[in-house]
Amino acid sequence: MTPRKWSAALVCLALALLSGCRRQVPTAKADPLLAAYDSEPDWNDSQKTIPLGYQQAQGKRVFYQQCVWCHADATPAGPSNRSNLTPPPPMLNDGATLNRETDEYMQNIVTLGGSAMGKSAMMPPYGRVLTAEEIRSVIAFLRAIAQPPYQPSGRSGSQDSAK
Amino acid sequence: MPAEDMGNLTRRIRYVFAVSSVIFLVVLAISPFKDYRREWKQYKRSYIRFAQSRPDTKRLTADYSPEIDQIWLPAMNVTDRCTTCHQGITQPTLADASVPQPFRTHPPIPHNVRDWGCTTCHRGQGPATEVAEAHESTLAWEQPILPTRFIQASCGTCHLSNLPQTPQLTRGRQLLAELNCQGCHKLPGIETPAMRGPDLSSIGTKVSREWIYKWLKEPRTVTDKDGNVTVNGYETEEEPRMPKFRLNEAELMALSGYLSVQKAKPLSAYRISPGVIASWSKNPELVPQGELRFRQMFCSTCHSLAVTRAGETKLIGGDIGPELTKVGSKVNPDWLIAWLRDPESYLPHTRMPRYGWSDEDLYKVTQYIATKLVDSDLLTNVPNLDSPTDEQIQLGRRLFLEKGCASCHAIVGLNPQKDFGPDLSALGAKNASELEFGSAKIPHNLVSYIQAKLQDPASVNPAARMPHYSWNPADLDAVTTALLSMKGAPATSALQNLVIPRKEVAFHPTGSFAEVYKRYKCDTCHKFNGYGGDLAPELTYEGSRAQRQWLIEFLKSPQTLRPTLILRMPQLNMSDKDAATLADYVSMVLQNPAVNPASTDAKQFTPAMAALGKQLYEVKYQCQSCHTIGASGGYVGPNLNNAGGWLTPAWIQAWLKNPQALVPDTIEPRRNFTDQEIDALTAYLMTLRAGIAPQKTGNTPSEAAVAQGAGQ
Repeated sequence: MTPRKWSAALVCLALALLSGCRRQVPTAKADPLLAAYDSEPDWNDSQKTIPLGYQQAQGKRVFYQQCVWCHADATPAGPSNRSNLTPPPPMLNDGATLNRETDEYMQNIVTLGGSAMGKSAMMPPYGRVLTAEEIRSVIAFLRAIAQPPYQPSGRSGSQDSAK
Repeated sequence: MPAEDMGNLTRRIRYVFAVSSVIFLVVLAISPFKDYRREWKQYKRSYIRFAQSRPDTKRLTADYSPEIDQIWLPAMNVTDRCTTCHQGITQPTLADASVPQPFRTHPPIPHNVRDWGCTTCHRGQGPATEVAEAHESTLAWEQPILPTRFIQASCGTCHLSNLPQTPQLTRGRQLLAELNCQGCHKLPGIETPAMRGPDLSSIGTKVSREWIYKWLKEPRTVTDKDGNVTVNGYETEEEPRMPKFRLNEAELMALSGYLSVQKAKPLSAYRISPGVIASWSKNPELVPQGELRFRQMFCSTCHSLAVTRAGETKLIGGDIGPELTKVGSKVNPDWLIAWLRDPESYLPHTRMPRYGWSDEDLYKVTQYIATKLVDSDLLTNVPNLDSPTDEQIQLGRRLFLEKGCASCHAIVGLNPQKDFGPDLSALGAKNASELEFGSAKIPHNLVSYIQAKLQDPASVNPAARMPHYSWNPADLDAVTTALLSMKGAPATSALQNLVIPRKEVAFHPTGSFAEVYKRYKCDTCHKFNGYGGDLAPELTYEGSRAQRQWLIEFLKSPQTLRPTLILRMPQLNMSDKDAATLADYVSMVLQNPAVNPASTDAKQFTPAMAALGKQLYEVKYQCQSCHTIGASGGYVGPNLNNAGGWLTPAWIQAWLKNPQALVPDTIEPRRNFTDQEIDALTAYLMTLRAGIAPQKTGNTPSEAAVAQGAGQ
């Protein structure tokens, strides 16, 4: 055997060893099952579906228990209570109204009620029923379904929440 | 060997050594480089780069070490290195969706990652240090990550009682119970309903052999032209709880023959005098009046009827009993009368109450059912069937046992096979290699297997005995979640201690109350001490809430306090004696210890207090946003027109202090009233009285639809 052949054999062996170090890992397939499990149809366009994260999904649950009666046009029990109220409460997805309020303001008005924030007393306080975390999750949910969509960076504090 | 040759050989050997040394050097030099390039180290470094781009770099990198991070909880079998890459998992400032994965904060959950690890809920391989190995299944490690849309299954592994945060899991468990899955399978923690499928001991007196044939061949009877029906807002292929079995013609003939001769208890027909019937049948309004009675009695609270509008068929009404759209073409008219008069004599464990009927009402309603709730085409494709032969009956009996019919349906004298289907109590922990995929072209993992099996049992095992169920996508996922939650006995005692068992609930009524309670099946809709249905308000503390006289009047003529409800308390036509028995027991026994009737005397309320209360109600707290008094107000809460005639003052006071203490899941927010305000509001509410003589309730569009659906 010539030295050239020896060295060629060694190089081949080394390459084989090297390639062996890199174990073949199957590439991750796009599994449709890994998609988000919970979602909410867009209220203004029933063809569209908005995927929800964990916190938003929890917010959806709380919303459909406590808030849907006055802040939506259709409720699980049929007609909405919204038409009975003056002034009519904003729809939860009403981005034109709610996008300009900060999360802090929203947290406060749900916790303390409308009258504490200078709004209608028809909005009762939920601070003694819902936990702060539950209220935060409702806000996360309403941000997710807002139309026009909510832009967290573009928000400017409202008059009421300035301080 | 000549010296020259020796020299040559030495040179060659030296040459070989030189080359191999260089190669080894290169290999040695590569290995630190490869080590440096390891996947987890790259994530470590990119986290540092990412943290430096954030304003709070210092805090984000406070716990940083360049090594593998590990959560080690030996008692729970947790060795999770997931935080090596998912480094921001506990950093509150990285919660925003704009933070790239794997650095984002875990959503806030009641469990701390450090105390529970990651794989406890998410599955996957905790010790792995490569993304693919940690997340996917490999030949050596078979547990892939649980897709997040089924993550509630992990809650259910320990929380055997239902949690409000896991609606999907709760729905799945409810479906497993409703569909009688535990008739064939072992499913720990799934409640066995009193009635699996109906007892078929006397089915031959109820329906014809032709109808049985049709039902076994194709249980769905209500569909639109596309073969769909919408139930609870979901479009589905079929409604009935009865799944579709794969039966051939001979099997259909045999089973229908066998069932049609089951007449354990002969039908004792109830005869109304023909002369009386003759006079009633002259009434041109007979059927519309029967329909009106059907609606007034609120049969739709438990039974649905199909309504077809714009080509779309919907079931409207409750789902406690079967849908009745074509029941007039199904049952023997004599059986129907006997059933309505006394359901228990045909089906001992029925949930249907025994209504008090007048002969006239009974006749009108059955006439309505027999003329309007029918479909002349129902049995079009069924061959004419004569009396079955003995061979057919014998074969039918065998098939009834072999196909698993006996696991859900009782027949007197027939003993079902125990553990007919596989034990599913640890299905959720199975590895892919333990499952049979047959020739199904689906990914080889547990989730795909469960879903394929549920959708079409024959797809993974052509010999499967499991029948075909029809699922809408949401229910399919819910049942999958519930099945995935069943991981069998916990592996360690520490995990065993974490299991939160289901609360066993029971209610044992006594005395004459028990008889009346059983007759009217109060527990079909109402809960008592946590036991019973959840369609109607819980009555555990009803004796503290309602005044006795109000209870009597309500039971005799139920009217809703919530005008928007479609499903309402049925008109049970209760006798005075029955109503008094119920009201006495409720007032005496179903009491909340925290509501002390002696503490409040209605006489202590002055008109001034009531006036203040009115002011608080209308202006300060604006209770009218949810409650109606007079003609105005909201309908989220109950109508308070007759609050003074309905509620006890002690209840109102306790309720205003803390509604959730009395009814944990009530949506009335707990307010911060002062004692003086509570007294004033109570005084005001006690002044509100209205007669509760039967008042016409306005027909909501849905009610009208229920009525119309009958004829279509």
